[in-house]
Amino acid sequence: MNCEWVQQNTALYLYGELADDARHELEQHIRRCPNCAAELAAQKEFQEQMNALPVEEPSASFLAAARMRLQESLETAQQNRAWYHRLAFDPMAWMRQVRFSPALAMIIFLAGFGGGLGAMYSAKAPITSTSTTPPAEASIGGITSIEKQAGTGNVKVQYDKRLPASVQGSVSDPKVQDLLLYAAKSNENSGVRLNSVDVLASKADDPRVRETLTYALRYDSNPGVRLMALDGVGPFVKQDIRVRNAVLEALLDDSNLGVRSGALHALEPVRADSSVRMALQQLSKEDPSEYIRTESKRVLASMPNIY
Amino acid sequence: MAGQAQSRMNDTELIREAQRGNHAAFEELVRQYDGAVLRLAYHLTRSEQDAQDIYQEAFLKAYRNIGNFRFECSFYTWIYRIATNLCLDLLRKRQVRKEDSGVTTDSEGGTYDLLDQVADQRSGASPERDLMRRELGANIAKALQKLTPRERMVFEMKHYQGLKLRTIGEILNTTEETAKNTLFRGTQKLRAALKSIR
Repeated sequence: MNCEWVQQNTALYLYGELADDARHELEQHIRRCPNCAAELAAQKEFQEQMNALPVEEPSASFLAAARMRLQESLETAQQNRAWYHRLAFDPMAWMRQVRFSPALAMIIFLAGFGGGLGAMYSAKAPITSTSTTPPAEASIGGITSIEKQAGTGNVKVQYDKRLPASVQGSVSDPKVQDLLLYAAKSNENSGVRLNSVDVLASKADDPRVRETLTYALRYDSNPGVRLMALDGVGPFVKQDIRVRNAVLEALLDDSNLGVRSGALHALEPVRADSSVRMALQQLSKEDPSEYIRTESKRVLASMPNIY
Repeated sequence: MAGQAQSRMNDTELIREAQRGNHAAFEELVRQYDGAVLRLAYHLTRSEQDAQDIYQEAFLKAYRNIGNFRFECSFYTWIYRIATNLCLDLLRKRQVRKEDSGVTTDSEGGTYDLLDQVADQRSGASPERDLMRRELGANIAKALQKLTPRERMVFEMKHYQGLKLRTIGEILNTTEETAKNTLFRGTQKLRAALKSIR
């Protein structure tokens, strides 16, 4: 073992990366070589200096925010994947269906034959109007596009129309439930959202309903709606990790103290969870609200000791 | 050791479940490793926003490619490999733009000085001592910028994250020997840079 080797390996020695025999030889060499001993001391000093830039664990709120963002992206990715599977065209499956369904095969054949004839005789016919329903019959929801048709002088106006309708039934009725879920997420009127969330809170055992309530807890601008949503999802913090994350985020970041204190109590059953514990420890020390600080301390104190 | 084997076995089950489309299993995998990924990304990039972007992109990539995971390495190595590649891309971009300064951004876009991070929070720390630590922290940050992205990454994983060189080699798709040489080069550069700054 020469000085060059020793001086190239002092860092590995200090990091505990040398094999036992190499470590032993290096130690022997250092005892009798002042130059290499000085190099080892300099390397040690350097490593200690570098520790002045400490590695800190991400704070609970930073981690929670990253998790929430990821969860949303994962949900979108899951939905896209589900849609892809639903829409993906599988020619063999179609062929199998046609083989076992002579009637379907006949329909496809006739449609193709008719379509071909239609295209042959109407390819050059001028387009007059493609509208079938006069706009006056329904209120216009909004004009989505206006296009000039080159050469014909016609204009194509595309619009959405609204028709009033109502539906009645129990909360379990899929059609009623769809509308309630839509209202809870999309309605501009907070009174409607509040009523919708109120009704849905009783069906929070349904994962789809829970997802909507979690969305309302996170994003609804009205604190009343968020509180109502919290009441609905609160009992599920133990079994549904998404609910737990959303309630934790509400505890850390909600602008309304009522929602935050509701979230704190909702999290009591999972107070031993590391992310909840970290959040409570942080809040008990730093939260601007005295109530949150005191309650966080109380919940932490009620935690069983882990030996 | 038994704990590691147990964790690896649990990971195997979770990965198989995730490959069958079980989202809860994937989320469980995320929760096991996301703290470490965020810590690495944040310490390397010094920006909450960049760290969150890397964290997000790393786990989304893992989600999209979990079907291709062939159990040739641990999930830990795999997710670290994805995250370190994203970090390397960012460090390379920054090097090109030469915008990596001591001033970093938090999640709300506000800027804060890197020096704040090295302030001594312990009670009894004197202002002079605190100032010295802050100055040293700034010098370290400057010295770290002299490294190539790969040297920076190896140094980060060894010195700050405490990973074994064998694991670092595996994560970076290289040999332990190459990781050792990269660490040696990086260390020499840092020592020289710190000496010249002082």
